[in-house]
Amino acid sequence: MRLVLPPGVSETVFQKALQALAGVVGKQWVLATDEDRETFMDFYAAGDADLHVPSAAVGPQSLEEVQAIVRIANEYKVPLWPISRGKNLGYGAAAPCMSGTVVLDLARMNRILDVNERFGYCLLEPGVGFFDLFHYLQANKIKLWMSIPANAWGSVVGNALERGYGYTPYGENTRNICGLEVVLPNGELVRTGNGAMSNSVSWQLFKYGYGPSWDQLFCQSNFGIVTKMGMWLMPEPEATLGLNIQLPNPDDVGWAIDELAPLRMRGVIEQSPSIGNSLRFVASATQRSQWYQGDGALPDDVLLEILKKNNLGWWTVNLRLYGYDEVNEVHARIIREAFRKHVKQEIETVKWHRGDSIENSGAGVPATNALQIINWRGGRGGHIGFSPVLPAASEHVLKQFHSTKKRYEEIGVDYYGSFTLFERYTTNVNMMVYDRDDQEMTSKVRALFKVLIADAAREGYSEYRTHISYMDDVALTFDFNHHSLLRLNEAVKEALDPNGILAPGKQGVWPRARRPARA
Amino acid sequence: MKRNPLGSGNWPFRFGALALSLAIAGAISRGADDSVQKVEQGKKLFQERCGYCHRAGGTGTIMLTRRLGKDRSLLEERTDLTVAYVKKITRVGINGMPPHNRIELPDPELDLIAFYLTRPASLRAADTSKEGAP
Ligand SMILES: Cc1cc2nc3c(=O)[nH]c(=O)nc-3n(C[C@H](O)[C@H](O)[C@H](O)COP(=O)(O)OP(=O)(O)OC[C@H]3O[C@@H](n4cnc5c(N)ncnc54)[C@H](O)[C@@H]3O)c2cc1C
Ligand code: HEC
Repeated sequence: MRLVLPPGVSETVFQKALQALAGVVGKQWVLATDEDRETFMDFYAAGDADLHVPSAAVGPQSLEEVQAIVRIANEYKVPLWPISRGKNLGYGAAAPCMSGTVVLDLARMNRILDVNERFGYCLLEPGVGFFDLFHYLQANKIKLWMSIPANAWGSVVGNALERGYGYTPYGENTRNICGLEVVLPNGELVRTGNGAMSNSVSWQLFKYGYGPSWDQLFCQSNFGIVTKMGMWLMPEPEATLGLNIQLPNPDDVGWAIDELAPLRMRGVIEQSPSIGNSLRFVASATQRSQWYQGDGALPDDVLLEILKKNNLGWWTVNLRLYGYDEVNEVHARIIREAFRKHVKQEIETVKWHRGDSIENSGAGVPATNALQIINWRGGRGGHIGFSPVLPAASEHVLKQFHSTKKRYEEIGVDYYGSFTLFERYTTNVNMMVYDRDDQEMTSKVRALFKVLIADAAREGYSEYRTHISYMDDVALTFDFNHHSLLRLNEAVKEALDPNGILAPGKQGVWPRARRPARA
Repeated sequence: MKRNPLGSGNWPFRFGALALSLAIAGAISRGADDSVQKVEQGKKLFQERCGYCHRAGGTGTIMLTRRLGKDRSLLEERTDLTVAYVKKITRVGINGMPPHNRIELPDPELDLIAFYLTRPASLRAADTSKEGAP
């Protein structure tokens, strides 16, 4: 991809800035060829990758180098987009929101600085991948478990900052953050929580520190570059007990949520059960053309035929209990009874005890196989995720499910959704899988995305996270008091980042200097 | 309490970045006779960076089975790959496989991976690549 300059920066100034960056990190860690730019773009994009073209990438290896880079960015007014490993697939991958931004790739800062088994935490640099930490824990026989997203190619820190989640009782990684080290856009270095006390012995134990608490202000945010993150890890339980339940009918998701939500809130279930339409298994194991060659969304009767052949219900519920065997058994009985009221099928039970192979434990074993679904449509596949948050209640879940499915069918995309149940809400991730070379399809997908945002907003549903192309659209749905939250964010942004150098447009927050770029 | 446990585990790959780059420099300076070491290093790097998707059962292997058949699905067992093809695909991606940039995977490391995947028959004898993957 040819060079796109940052707005307001001339080619000469830009080249000078690159030279200055090379002076800090070494020439080989400043990448600015056409091919290099391409490697930081949104590979799975729905036809709009060229709205988010990085001008270059820089790869520091230390905190000091990050600080020096920030100084240079301020001097030349060159914007930076920090990524930890940049595998934010479905949400923009490594690409910046605003074209011309330089990607600050922290992948080389990949040290595991501390793992404490007694207190169950780790202290990580941003480049540590899920696979890296997993293998480290395994190799050192440390009995701590991680919470791992279905696509585990990314970074533990990046995922937590983006509020990603896995499926253990420590599921929401952002909740496990305990203490950050951050380089502010004005170059200042801070440690949050108890890390602000230079000799603290509880930086990774006590989240709040003293006074205002800042960890969440650096999540989904352009207020700072996180260079270290403390994170709580789960102690290995004695046993786990998994229950996999097939729900035969589309509307069963409603009662399933109503049965599970109180159990989740009371702690009978401590992890976040996932209820996904069973097409996800079909789509990862096979391709659509094997089942159906027609146009439009997969017809309901064809889907039923496929599910029957594969012995699958319309939805599959995957949940798991973690803890002492006796307790798990009692909780499993309560859950089975709840489901027996509605379904007759046998409930699949998977048991694991300490010492058994970790594969079926529910420990969170990293894999990338979820990426498989991208090939469902054939051609060069891609996907984008629309992820609203709903109250954990059938009236909302059914309404949203039917309206989304209908919208998908209107443009001929197969419905692919899941509901992950937290204590009080459910996160409804909807994947749109397309052939990224099919321009007609991708332009329909982009239009659908905007419609889904508007539909959801009308019902009072927000998004838990979004793709870089829709950051403004989603930000604008937070409209209380004429968008006063956005004004607050912008006021903080202004104070911390007067030159507007850090991740302009991230989550719809634009520095004053760049505001014209808002879509 | 394990303070700064860097490099103390037997998972030497990413955390031993410095050691590794020294090893690479060493390998290159000692010239072409070092094929055995280069294969070893390339194998390690492949298993660490590509193994997620290209071991048995990985998404790369599954997709290649679909497109090229089972016999050509495990990259480590392929004898028809060329250095240029491996390097190109790694940098530009293919179908479901996103590209790898030169920060996460610098050229000297990709060179070693490509060397490993295209190693001559004489260097394939005893190396069973299927286990070993991370
Ligand atoms: C098929 C499929 C399944 C998926 N399943 C899941 C799932 O189950 N759960 C889930 O959570 N996600 C899932 N994802 C989405 C995504 O792949 C993961 O969330 C992934 O972990 C994000 O990439 P990363 O960790 O490399 O983060 P990055 O791409 O490095 O970071 C994400 C964003 O966070 C910000 N950021 C990152 N690092 C810093 C820093 N150091 N300082 C300041 N800001 C920073 C930046 O804005 C960056 O763009 C899935 C994707 C696909 C394609
Ligand atoms: C995130 C998963 C993933 C990772 C990591 C990955 N690949 Fe792949 N790779 C794939 C997939 C999927 C395909 C098959 C694409 C297709 O043809 O549908 C593939 C295909 C390939 C091919 C094409 C083979 C052929 O005959 O056409 C090569 C070469 C390749 N990968 C090399 C690598 C190398 C080298 C690495 C590590 C640096 C790597 N891959 C890492 C997923 C991955």
